[in-house]
Amino acid sequence: MIHQHPRFYVGGDRYIEVELGDGMSFELNILVHNLVAAIRQAAIPGIIELIPELASMQISYDPEAISYADVVREVGALHDGASRIDTAELPSRMFYIPVMYFDPWTEACIEDYRSRQPDKQPDAQLVCQANGLPGRDALRRLHAGTDYWVAALGFWPGLCSLMPLDDRARIVAPKYNPPRTWTPRGAIGLGGALTCIYPDRTPGGYQLLGRTPVPIFDREQRLPAFRDDIVLFRPGDRVRFIPIDQAEFEFLESEVEAGRYEHHCVEHQTFSVGRYREERSRAGAGQPAGGRT
Amino acid sequence: MNPPLQFEVVKPGLETTVQELPGRLGYWEQGIPPSGPVDFWSFRLANLLVGNPRDTAALECQVMGPTLRLHCSALIAITGAEMSPTLDGQPIPMWTTMIARAGQTLALRGSRVGMRSYIAFSGGIATTPVLGSRAVFHMAGIGGRALQPGQTLPLGVPGSDQRGFHHVGEAHRPPLGSAESRSIACVRGPNDDWLSDASLADFVNSDWKVQAQSNRTGMRLSGPAFSFAPRATDKRPEHGQDPSNILDHGYPLGAINLAGQTPIILINDAPSTGGFINPFTVPSAEFWKLGQVRPHEILRFHQVSLDEAQQRRRDLDSAVTQEALTPQ
Repeated sequence: MIHQHPRFYVGGDRYIEVELGDGMSFELNILVHNLVAAIRQAAIPGIIELIPELASMQISYDPEAISYADVVREVGALHDGASRIDTAELPSRMFYIPVMYFDPWTEACIEDYRSRQPDKQPDAQLVCQANGLPGRDALRRLHAGTDYWVAALGFWPGLCSLMPLDDRARIVAPKYNPPRTWTPRGAIGLGGALTCIYPDRTPGGYQLLGRTPVPIFDREQRLPAFRDDIVLFRPGDRVRFIPIDQAEFEFLESEVEAGRYEHHCVEHQTFSVGRYREERSRAGAGQPAGGRT
Repeated sequence: MNPPLQFEVVKPGLETTVQELPGRLGYWEQGIPPSGPVDFWSFRLANLLVGNPRDTAALECQVMGPTLRLHCSALIAITGAEMSPTLDGQPIPMWTTMIARAGQTLALRGSRVGMRSYIAFSGGIATTPVLGSRAVFHMAGIGGRALQPGQTLPLGVPGSDQRGFHHVGEAHRPPLGSAESRSIACVRGPNDDWLSDASLADFVNSDWKVQAQSNRTGMRLSGPAFSFAPRATDKRPEHGQDPSNILDHGYPLGAINLAGQTPIILINDAPSTGGFINPFTVPSAEFWKLGQVRPHEILRFHQVSLDEAQQRRRDLDSAVTQEALTPQ
């Protein structure tokens, strides 16, 4: 559900939560990104930074430079101007991320959890069952068969919420309860209808499907992709997972360790909401996605 | 040859970190929090006492302070929590400009009143900025980590406008340990409409005990149970199962973040986003209290309007200047 007008909520004296709708959908998230882009372009003095999220954004502002009421007024006006989403062209880089699905490291993590929670169904099996998939191969094909949209990043530096751009590849899964105490760095997780990549060894709750050998977070800023950033992705980027085997995983891992790895990224691309919608309607609803056949 | 402008860590204390204002801005959307000193009132006074611009990089000590050996002479000042500082074993006053000579050892102990102390050095700490800031986010190792034994930290060259030796009288510093320090203003929102009216009233009418686990991400409170508004119980499934769950959204610094039935006050290194509601937010002028609260203390909250929160911020901002210092 999309609100006709954004709703503004006070977050103390320096922050504002702006809610654009209620629920999780690509359509709603793209409105958030569209408005974020419009606010950035307007370069309103006193607006310090923005955190785009699934259906809302957080604005930090300097109350010495702009009042709460003026932020509300300016952002409200930009929302009315930015709502013609079909003509929106958003800057969006494309990243190709190699993934070994059902790799031994996440399998070991799952087994470690199951040794203490024996009722926990193995992750891939649970996800296949919940989505009517015959087995791991179908799950891998389906999961790697779509581009993903970086809807938001947060909670931990670099932790990303990815939405499948092809809704036929939508897979859902419940979260771990209780959460895991550790997750291998680079693990690919699925929770609700979102995919994530764990940037570091952290606790977690998403079902684990695989692991990438390439970093998406580098506090040492060692590899070329991290020259200006510690975190690889920005909200509004896109990601495609490229299935690899263990030999390639180990090769890429050694390239990363040697400082030679260059992330495969197409810069300076834009994402056209109108063309995306045309393509989706041509693909038609109800068609079987590649992975299910 | 001049001695190197640096000091050496003999004992690190408990997660002592370099902090700077305004913190690391511009990367929150990638999950990197602002960091910076929690009690920025005490932090700024320490810098002013040594002749630095008030937002210069300095040390934040928590619960147990460090022992440091100076490799050069510098003006130093210690503010915030009372940590019984000594220089070469001799007690020295806090809230006062002191000179530490090359080779001298500065030692802080456990905090007796308050939680966090600040140590400023003339010239400031000159570590290499990461993403535009020297502020350390210890848990993720961004901008460095907490101090380690044997580590040396570089100092900057003091400015030419040294203003001499000063003291901050009690009237000009945060009243640590007072009843006021445990009475915390909060502003309603952003998610006050997820709580029942009874719960909104309860929050400001109840005692809240600070739990033992507390760090630079936040502090947990225990107190009465919360009850919820229809928005929390009758909602779309994407929000999650618990009444306190909401679709992932941004977390303000100062948010009273409700995870199940446990409120957590989020401070400078808190997660940027998450799936729990924030019914109240502590405004910036109250952060000195959040930085100085000790485990097991009892807190009370009182509601203020946004206008009042803004006025308090302006008042505090204009109080933390050279005018707060008394020449010695």
